[in-house]
Amino acid sequence: MSSLLVLLACTPPPTTQLGDFLQLIWTFLSLSLFSLGGGNTLLAEYHHISVEQFCWLTDSQFSDIYALAEAAPGPSSMIVGLLGMGAAWKEGPWAALVSAYAAELAILIPSTLLMVVACLSWKRLEHSPWRVAFERGLGPITLGILFVVGIKILNTANHGVPGYLVSIVVCLLMLRTRLSPLWFMGVAGLLGGLGIINR
Amino acid sequence: MPASAPPPHPNPPAVGLAPPPGLRQLFVGMLQVALSSFGGGLSAWSQRIVVEQCRWMSDQDFLTGLTVARLFPGPNQINMAVYIGASFHGLVGALVALAGMLVMPFTLLMLLGLVYFQVHEIPAVDRVLAGVVAAAAGMALSMGFKILHTYWRDRVALLLAALTFVAMAVFHVRLIPMVLVAGPLAMIWYWPRSSPQEPS
Repeated sequence: MSSLLVLLACTPPPTTQLGDFLQLIWTFLSLSLFSLGGGNTLLAEYHHISVEQFCWLTDSQFSDIYALAEAAPGPSSMIVGLLGMGAAWKEGPWAALVSAYAAELAILIPSTLLMVVACLSWKRLEHSPWRVAFERGLGPITLGILFVVGIKILNTANHGVPGYLVSIVVCLLMLRTRLSPLWFMGVAGLLGGLGIINR
Repeated sequence: MPASAPPPHPNPPAVGLAPPPGLRQLFVGMLQVALSSFGGGLSAWSQRIVVEQCRWMSDQDFLTGLTVARLFPGPNQINMAVYIGASFHGLVGALVALAGMLVMPFTLLMLLGLVYFQVHEIPAVDRVLAGVVAAAAGMALSMGFKILHTYWRDRVALLLAALTFVAMAVFHVRLIPMVLVAGPLAMIWYWPRSSPQEPS
């Protein structure tokens, strides 16, 4: 029921299935070179694209997918595969899988190509002023973006005081301890199952 | 194993290193890294396997790789795999290393994703997820705080970060325009001076 209401609220421009697919690929291709400071800086953009712009996912689904990508073994940038899956889920699981792989390839290829060039010409780049300026300049920007991402996900995931409290506690524990995040997710999941955290 | 076109190597191989890996060894090595780090600690396992176990590159080369991986766009772990692969076999090596690192985790995640999309509307599942995402949000929130200390003493850096935050969170400036405008401005400020004194 609530997903129906969300669908009514978010209406993307109608296109063909192929058009959607190409749009998906182009979206991630164009973002690839902007994943500065690691893949996490793109998360707020992913939210805007998947929830607000193209209506692939609801807020809840986005949070779920983020948690899934973080919890699962491997680089968390594989979230893009899940975004691609969500984008095409309504066409059936096979289309969703194709979409997932295509999206992941799209987000990886441009930055990979650039990285290969960088590796092969590192000797020249290493002491260039461009490199120093870039490294020093993009750091603070990344800092700002990471806070944007943190706040955005905080608000996307939580809809009540208990949720916010748990998030803040987990944040502190992440900063102060070396416990694996999976523990936190497990305990929080239990709290959710018991109805203490709602959405 | 037949060598492909002379692989560009960042430094001449140091004494005591194993011969450079072929493509298949590269794939298997990265696969091993991915499997070992299933519980976490990808960077640590990467170093352990590539430098200590297989002895493909020296610690110094590995650290160089980390530097390059962090500097360039792309997820750090992905970039690291690309660096390792490209060090030995250029573009093909990079793709092979990537494939070795990603094939299992990605397949697993896709399976989990299919299950998720199938079952997420079940009320019990949704309730548990409501809790899990609260914890995940805590993790996301901690990301900024984790690197805050690096810039704590640099007022311009903090200002830049604050401006970025306000622009994006309050005025909803999108990522690409933000980076394209703020990036060059930041680079101009942090452009290395030719004098021995460096801006903090």
